[in-house]
Amino acid sequence: MSATPQRYQEDVANGEELPGFSLELTMTRMVLQVSGTQDFYPIHHDQAFARSAGHPDIFINTSFIRGCLCRVLTDWIGADGFVKRLGFQMRTPNLLGETISARGRVKQKGPDGHIEIEVWIESAEKGVTVPGSATVILPARR
Amino acid sequence: MAYDVKTVKREWEGHETALAWRRYPVEHEPIRRHCHMIDDANPLFIEEGRCPPVMVDFFASQGPWPAADFDILGLIRRIPTPGDRLINLNQEFEWFLPVRVGDRLGIRHKVASIHQRSTRLDPLSVWIRTETTIVNEREQVVARRTNQILVHRTPEEIATGVSRS
Repeated sequence: MSATPQRYQEDVANGEELPGFSLELTMTRMVLQVSGTQDFYPIHHDQAFARSAGHPDIFINTSFIRGCLCRVLTDWIGADGFVKRLGFQMRTPNLLGETISARGRVKQKGPDGHIEIEVWIESAEKGVTVPGSATVILPARR
Repeated sequence: MAYDVKTVKREWEGHETALAWRRYPVEHEPIRRHCHMIDDANPLFIEEGRCPPVMVDFFASQGPWPAADFDILGLIRRIPTPGDRLINLNQEFEWFLPVRVGDRLGIRHKVASIHQRSTRLDPLSVWIRTETTIVNEREQVVARRTNQILVHRTPEEIATGVSRS
């Protein structure tokens, strides 16, 4: 594996898209979710439990969602960047069987390398399900 | 007896837990599992032992067993609510210092606010906002986190008018 390329504050433009990535929420992915987060609350792996609570199916948990949003940032900032802040609202659950995409876009370059970024999770069926925002700090070129 | 949110607010808003230290230091294996979950091949995490920023609360909490020690769940379960089904709606993190494999973290929680407001899931839904602080072994703050938790009843409980509190 090679290190992610370093991003410098001088190279960033407002409106720049972060590459992001997509994941299909197969049952195997849902199992990986429980393994990766150690979140055993059954609403994320037990379909009968989720339906008894009024949901159509099991859905991905908070740690999975924030992991995706954070990966959008850490894939982009490089080894010397720092994730300063991440906030998000889980407005619509992403269910088993959906394909989600995690994305980002530079909203505003600020002072001292602070970059404000819009981040979100979307699916083809539902559009944006998790809007969010983040701040990263990028180094300056020497 | 009807649910008395004013009494619950008076008793629980501002409640803070003591600083609790993680039993184990930050480890490679949970980081690898986290990365596997989201197809993250970043060598900074997998090979160099940096902790993904969003994993600091995982390493700072006591893990999923014993269940009562798991992050804010034990605290939320002690707050009287009509239902016991939980949904985490919003989360916000701020980081101050990086964390690496071998660091030992501690955590404390505070109940910031409690409100009762109807949702499509339950007319007696309760909204609980919590604030979490995570420190390293030198008790330097490495991150702060806020959560907005929704606690609701099941459709069956709503249909039969059941309330646990």
